[in-house]
Parts: sequence; C-alpha cells; structure tokens
Amino acid sequence: MLRYALRRVLWAIPTLLATSLVLFFVTTLAPDPARDTGDATIEEARRTRFVDLPRFVNTRPQDVVSRASAAVKAVSSGGADEERGARELRRLGGAALPYVLPLLEALPPEGRGRVAVALAPVASRMAIGNAGDLLQPQTAALFWSRFWDDRALDFTRTAVDRAVSRLVEHGTDLRETDMVSLDTYALPEVIRAMTTTSDHVSLERLTRIARHATERGPVLAEDSDATQVRRAVADWQEWWFVHATDYVELDGADRAIAVVTETRYGKWLRRAASGELGVSAIDGEPIADKLRERAPVTLLVCGLAMLLSWSLAVPLGALGAWRQGRAFDWVSSGVLFLLYATPTFAVAEILRRVAAGHALGGGRVWLAVAALALGSIATLSRWQRAAMLDVVRQDFVRTARAKGLPAWRVAVVHALRNALMPTLTLAGLHLPVLLGGAFVVEEVFGLPGLGFETLRAIEAHDAAWLMAVILASAVAVTLGLVASDVAYGALDPRVREVLSRRQDGRAA
Amino acid sequence: MSDEHLPQEPSVVLELSRRKGAAAVRDSLVGAQRVAAPYVTMTRIALARLGRDRLARAGALVLACLALVAVFADLLASDRPIACRWHGVVYVLPNVTHPAALAGVDGAAMQRDRGPGDWAIAPLVAHGPTEVAEPDAMLAPLSPGHPLGTDALGRDLFARVVHGARTALGLGLAASLVLVAIGVALGGLAGFAGGVVDSLVSRAVESLTAIPTLVLVLVVGALVPHPTTATLLWTIALTRWTELARLVRAEVLRGLGEDYATAARALGASPSRVLLRHVMPNAIGPAIVAAAFGVASVVLLEAAVDFLRVGSPDTMASWGEAMGEARASTGAWWLIVFPGAALLATLVSLNLVGEAARDALDPRLRCASSDLGGGVGG
Repeated sequence: MLRYALRRVLWAIPTLLATSLVLFFVTTLAPDPARDTGDATIEEARRTRFVDLPRFVNTRPQDVVSRASAAVKAVSSGGADEERGARELRRLGGAALPYVLPLLEALPPEGRGRVAVALAPVASRMAIGNAGDLLQPQTAALFWSRFWDDRALDFTRTAVDRAVSRLVEHGTDLRETDMVSLDTYALPEVIRAMTTTSDHVSLERLTRIARHATERGPVLAEDSDATQVRRAVADWQEWWFVHATDYVELDGADRAIAVVTETRYGKWLRRAASGELGVSAIDGEPIADKLRERAPVTLLVCGLAMLLSWSLAVPLGALGAWRQGRAFDWVSSGVLFLLYATPTFAVAEILRRVAAGHALGGGRVWLAVAALALGSIATLSRWQRAAMLDVVRQDFVRTARAKGLPAWRVAVVHALRNALMPTLTLAGLHLPVLLGGAFVVEEVFGLPGLGFETLRAIEAHDAAWLMAVILASAVAVTLGLVASDVAYGALDPRVREVLSRRQDGRAA
Repeated sequence: MSDEHLPQEPSVVLELSRRKGAAAVRDSLVGAQRVAAPYVTMTRIALARLGRDRLARAGALVLACLALVAVFADLLASDRPIACRWHGVVYVLPNVTHPAALAGVDGAAMQRDRGPGDWAIAPLVAHGPTEVAEPDAMLAPLSPGHPLGTDALGRDLFARVVHGARTALGLGLAASLVLVAIGVALGGLAGFAGGVVDSLVSRAVESLTAIPTLVLVLVVGALVPHPTTATLLWTIALTRWTELARLVRAEVLRGLGEDYATAARALGASPSRVLLRHVMPNAIGPAIVAAAFGVASVVLLEAAVDFLRVGSPDTMASWGEAMGEARASTGAWWLIVFPGAALLATLVSLNLVGEAARDALDPRLRCASSDLGGGVGG
C-alpha cells in the first residue's frame, strides 16, 4: 500500500511540471513593459519580470564579468553608449572592479582616462581618493592602478566572507566602514547574512551597507518592529534574486547551471518552488504572507462545504437509486437536477438577499458554505445515484437479497460500499469546481479569503498575487487528486494492482 | 431481413462493372443497400430514442427558441429601426448593414426630423443593449418603455437579456466546437499512437485538470492587456478539452482491442484506416454528448466570470453581468430574475438534451432502455 501511495505521489511530479509550463505560459501573456526607452524605472520593471532573458535556454548567461567588460568597451570607445556604460559601471560598483581595473592597462590612454573618470562615483561611494584627482583622466587612471596594487587582496571571496561574519558577531562602526569600502563586492555575503542572522543591530548594519552600495532599498531603523524587519529582509532577498548575476561571477559549474536557471522559466520556477512569490503591488506585503493569511478562510469554506455535501449527497443519491422510479426518486432527482443546473453565484446571491437585513456576523460563513454545498450536493448525488444504479443491477446484490438479508443491510453493506468507489474518484475531479465556487461565494458574502483578495488584485492589476493564487490552487488541486487516488487505492485493492501493473508496463 | 437478395448481389455487381464502369457499379451498390434497407444503425437507434424522450424534446424546443432570439436579437431590441426610409434612402436593418449611416440619429430625433415620405418599422423594444437609454433613471422598474426595467447604468434590461442570449450561445457553441475538435484529435492520437505521445497527452490532461478554470479565466482576463470575448473563448477552449480527450482515448484503446478492429486489420486495412473508419466513429457519441455539456459549462463559466467582473470595460451584453449589477443594490429584483431565468432555462435545457443524448448513445442501455423508463436523473 505504501509503495502504491509513494508511486502515486512521484507520478504527480511530471504533472506538476506540466502544470508549471502552462502557468508559465499564462505569465507571459501579461504585457511587457516597453523596450529600450532608457527610462530607469521601466528597465527595472523589465528586470524584475525577467522579460529580457530567453524563455527556456540561455546559451550566454550574463554575469558581472560580461556586463563589466561590455560597459568598459562602451565607455572607452566613447561612442553614443558612453553615458549608458558609465551608468552601468556605477551600478555594478565594487563588484566589477576586479574585472575592470586589470583591463585598464590594456586600453589606449584616452579610453583608460574615460573609464577611470566614469568610476569616480564608485570611489566616492567607497569613500576613497579625493574628488579633484578622480575627475582628471590622468590622475584618475593613476589612482585606480595604484588602488588595485594596494587593495587587490581585499577583493577575494574568503576575505569578504570573514569580514562579514566578524561584523555579524561583533559589529563595530569601524568594521562597517571597512565593508562600505568594498562596495557591491560584499553584497553576496551581506545578503546571505541577512537571512541567517536575527540580531536586530546586525540587520541594521547589513541593510545600511547594502543600501549604501546599491543606492536603493529599505534600511532598518532602531525602532522597527518584527513585521518591518521581515518585510525589509524579504525586499532585499527579492532584489538579490533578480539582480544576483550583476554582482557575481559565473564560472565552471555555476555557468553550466545558469544555462537553465538564467531563463524566464528557470527564474519563474525557482521562485514558485521556493515559495518566494514576490511582493504585492497593492500594499507591498510579501505574497507568501498574504497567502498564508487568506488561505485558511478558503480552506475552511471548501472543507465545510465538502463535508456537508458528502454527508447529504451520498445518502440522497443512494436512496434515489434504491427507490428507482418511485416518488422519492422522482422528486429528489428533479430537485437535484434543477440545483445541478443552477449556477453557484445565483444561489449565493439569492441566499444573500434572503438574509439581507438580518445581523449576520459569523453566519456569513455558514451561508457561504450552504451556497457552495448546494451545487456540490447536486453533482455528487447524481454521480452517487448513477454508481448505485450500476451496482444494484449486479448479481451479488441479487444473491444477498436471495439469502434473505434485510433490505437495509443489502443496500448499505453490499451495494453502497461498492457504489462509493466511483464517486470517490470523481470527487477528485470535482475539486477544481469547488475551489472556483469558493472564489465566487467569498466575493458575494465578503469573506476575506483567496477569492475575495483575488478580485481586489484584478482591480489593481496585481500580477504577482494573481500568479501566486493560480499556482497555489493548481498545487492544492493536484495534491487533492493524489489524495483521492491514494484513498481509492486504500479502499479497493483491485485498483492498486491494476495501476501498478499498468505503470510498470509503461516504464518497461 | 432480405435473405433472398443477398446471394444475387455479387454477380450483379460484377456483370455491371464489366459492361458500364465505375459509376454504374456505385449505383448498383446503392441500390443493393436500399433493397437491404431497414437496416439498423446506432445513429437511427439513438435518434429514435432521443425523439421518444419528452424532456429532451422540451429542452430542444427551448434551445431552439433561444437560438432564434439570439439570431434575431436585432429585430427584438435595437436602438435603430428594423427597416426605415430616412431622408429618401431606404435602409434594411441599418445597424447590421450600414452601422455608420444613421450614427447619432436616435429614436426621438427620428420622430422629430422626419422628412416627407419617411417611415420606420420599429423593433419590439426601441433600445439597444449598450445604449444608455435613461441616464437619469438608473434601475428604473418595469414600464411600457422598458418591459423588463433598466440596469444600474440606465440600459434597457430587455435588450441586454435578448442580446445576452447571443453572447452566451455564440460563445458556448464556438468554444465547445474548438474544444471538441482538440479533444477528439488529441484523445484519438494518444490512444492510437501510445508511447511518448500518449504520455505527453496524459500529462497535459492531468495538469490542465488541476487548474480551476474559473480562476484561470479570471487571471488571464486580468493579465491580458485588452481582454475580449475571444480571450475568454480561447482560454476556455484550450483548457476544457481534457475530459473529452480522456473519454476518446479510452474509447479508442477499447476499440483497437475489439474483434471488429482485428477483423479490419486481417482484411488488410492500414492502421490509419482502422482508426478513422472503424474505431473513431464509435468515439463520436461521447464527443456529441461532451459538446452539449461543453456548451452548458461554457455558458455557466461566462456568466460567473461576468458576474464577478462587473464593470469591466467589455461592452458585450451578458446575463451574468446583469446579475452582478444587482449586487450593489438591495432592490432591483428584475436584475436577478430575468437574466437568471434566461440562464437557468439555457442550462437546464442543455443538460436535459445532453443527458438524453448520453442515454440514447449508450449501447449498453440498448436492451435495458425500454424497461428502465429514463427518469430525470438519467
């Protein structure tokens, strides 16, 4: 049994991958921000949605080396792109120095001067040199080559790693100033330290360093509370997820992996799998927090509706089939057929109107559950009736009757037990409908669940939330399908055999 | 049946073929079939059974009426006359044939500035579905001018309901045609080809099944820059084919193992011929049933989406949207009752016809159907 369950769970993985492809396609439907306008905010928007990356395979992943050399080339040639290159050099900052400064010697004197001057903002950020020297091509080039001779040893990963852990353990202002002089080169370790440490003062220092180097992002103040801390760290992580390759060199295995990960799909999938779903466009709250906050309401409504509909639908359907053709069957199937055809939103709206004017309070949840359950009862009981009809005609039921068993025993023990099976499998397929219905009733009754929030997100065009909610519901439904299959296998050993045989045959 | 004819047929055909050629052979074959006539096919059984089902007949009748309403919506409610003579020019159905010609001329202007010899045949209700008929009288109750009242924007509800039939049925039909085509093609292919193709299609079916369609439609509608009815159509059609593909695949797998398929193979039929001429026709039944239920589910989905997305810039008249407008107001019962009745009538009829078709096409029920007496539940 355990083997069967495990097999079924593993079997869900390719399905989830296929689902992710579909959902990824849905994300690409959203319009891309305009291309190449040179506007910094639009460029940033393109970066955060990875629209400039290739979709599935990136044969030439960009890293700090390629970006720095491209920027140096643009600046030294002094063409139309000079200003853009200078901006890029300023953005890359200290992280690019190990790759830019050794290049300086090889450049023609004119280009060397231009690049050295373009680095002036970086120097002022690192608080080194004096402004007059740095703006003169000759002296600036000299300054930078001397700087590299002196400081090259500080620009190694191990040195930075040690410096950051020292800062986290015993933070002093002097150590913070040391980190500032490394500029963006220290970012990988700084951001990593933000997630591992929970010490408030260290976080303050780390966010201050990161902000100083990148000229953006939140800084913790002394009096910020737990929520602010979490949000600030989430913001920095999010930013690092998007921009990491600007400050890190990809070599060897990293480069090989980047062929797959540095793509739109790779980035999207990694984000989806890690549960880091970005931040809401409405109020800047992390989407994951919001999901955690809203999902219980939806799950409660769905769960209660499921419970209610199962406990009513199974007896109704079974009794209808048992009394086939009699008055009870006619009335119940007639009513259930009407209910089956009535849309959930209409039922919900009518219930809301009937209840309007009464003080409701917690009653809203029950009304929502009732509205959702009515549709499910109709569907489930019709399935149950059909399944029961199939079973009732079979020989073993006739045998049981012929033995002289009481009718209720034949109906419940012999017939219903077998007739429950098909309904159980179909119940898995009913899950997506139920979830969609929950969205509707939440909106009608104003329950603050996923559906309610989704409609607000639609009004505000909050793409991050929309993607997160559809991902969450797809995953939830897949898990539900797996659970219903496993339950089916647990109840019916024949299915287990058939399934494992079929999948073995397929694997062979 | 016609035992005395059978032994003679082959010789007749052969003789003819020697003398007169292919056309004559075909004629003689047709003739022979006619002599063998009252032969029973599944189609005939199904049609006969469908005709006997009273509820299905009622459902079909309602659907036919709704289809007529949808097709002739412009005759029932429109802000332009059905036919008119305006400043010496005769227009027939001006808003279909010459949408620009009478722009800016509404009913009142037509009364006022009427030239000598001008005339107009007015539609049943002189308001169009998107025309704001009563800017001051939002949510006006029922009146002679507006037999079903007006909605929250002052648009005539009768016109919205009548034109909503066009949206619902048109979208339903179009989407279910596409989804049946995809479902039959992919399901048949998966069952027939097996191996990698089967695995791919099965994974696609499973993964699409796991995505709640209502949520997907809402999200796609919000992400696409300019959502139209076509967006809705394709979103539904491209995700709802899975059930049918599953059915068709099972049917094809079953059919390929049956004796008739083996017999066809033994007679030298190519694999594709076995599939297309012998196995697939058996899968047509489920496809027809799925189409009927597909229309119902698309109509339902469209209504639910428009109900939730009230106030979106989409200008199509829709039953769901009218009902959604009622949410903001506690009165205005007409906004719930009339579109709701139209929606319910459509869904009930579609389900009745679909169920009757399923029962009629189910070969297992062939013997049993006479003594079962199909109840409503089927």
